[in-house]
Amino acid sequence: MRESDPRESEGRLPTVDRRGFVRSLLGFSIISTIMGVLTPIIGYLWPPARSARGGGGRVLVGTLTDIPPGQAEVLPINDKPVIVVNTQDNQVRAFSAICTHLGCVCEWEDRRQFILCPCHDGRFNALTGAVISGPPPSPLPSVEVVVEDGDIYAGGA
Amino acid sequence: MQQKDVFYRTWPLRFWNWLDKRYALQEFLHALVDVPIPRSANTLYLGGITLFLFGIQAITGILLSIYYQPTPENAYGSILFIMNDVRFGWLIRSIHAWGANLMIIFCILHLLRVFVQGAYKPPRELTWMAGVLLLMLTLGFGFTGYLLPWDQRAFWATTVGSEIAGAIPLVGQAALNFLRGGPEITALTLSRFFGTHVLVLPVGLALLVAIHLVMVHQQGLADPTEPTGSPDDLLQEGAEGSRVGGSDDH
Repeated sequence: MRESDPRESEGRLPTVDRRGFVRSLLGFSIISTIMGVLTPIIGYLWPPARSARGGGGRVLVGTLTDIPPGQAEVLPINDKPVIVVNTQDNQVRAFSAICTHLGCVCEWEDRRQFILCPCHDGRFNALTGAVISGPPPSPLPSVEVVVEDGDIYAGGA
Repeated sequence: MQQKDVFYRTWPLRFWNWLDKRYALQEFLHALVDVPIPRSANTLYLGGITLFLFGIQAITGILLSIYYQPTPENAYGSILFIMNDVRFGWLIRSIHAWGANLMIIFCILHLLRVFVQGAYKPPRELTWMAGVLLLMLTLGFGFTGYLLPWDQRAFWATTVGSEIAGAIPLVGQAALNFLRGGPEITALTLSRFFGTHVLVLPVGLALLVAIHLVMVHQQGLADPTEPTGSPDDLLQEGAEGSRVGGSDDH
């Protein structure tokens, strides 16, 4: 039997004995462990947001002042590298920047105005994505792009 | 009886008490768990760790099967989806991959411990044999699971692995066809590896684990300082030397 705490009888302090305190600590640690396991599992089972959007919508990539004529930029759009090109005659195009040869990320060749894969010198036309030279077997897939009031949007509509 | 009162006041224990009154669970658990263990027995918990890892593999495997798609068109894409888009998908898949390696490692450590302690000796031969079969099933899990990501590594690992079966004299070609579901690695191979990995092997392993555990439970743990079996036991001399007092038989 426990000895009764003298303070207990006075009723001023909450009556938490040592055993009860340790037990609630134990309960807390058990519950937090269980929560630590359940949280990732519930998060995992919850439908991922991306699938609901069906591959992602269009994304604002910048303005025409960000990418002036004769310039291009490689940007992540829906987790994929996309090269947005503003050609010297003000035509805005966007292509997947994943080289069709071995999957390197392409870059903009400023001086000669084409898309260049730095890995094996694959060259692509900046207007059509067609292969100019090098090992790539097929053109770069184009990505939908629209310009509205100087804002450039890319990605599937 | 205040102590008892405190004990039964918390709701999980009250619920346990409620169940226990109806199904005599305390007795059942007592028979299951409160088994005398030789003081000198030292299992290093390797079998238990292996069983724990199997539990981890079962849970993470069930979770992976929710998003994985076992077709050549979608398999690799669904793996990328799990890794990149599903919340904690990277975590679940990585635990499954690490757990797979660890489970094989702990199986082998468990086997080595049983071997070194001579715990496989009569009357425990069948427990050992069941354990060896369990190791085979675990390796089967590894072999079939390795194909499922359907990337280059998976494809060629399975190519090589099934060609090893194909090198068996006489029945080799038949074994290879059986493994691949045909002479080549195709969608058929993927689906039969998937089925084996998520249905056949888990059921087989669970049953065999149950048998393995019942056998261990019925016989109790082996005492490595009390060698049984053949007289040319390797451990006998060492064991007699280390016996602490009380032995008057040498």
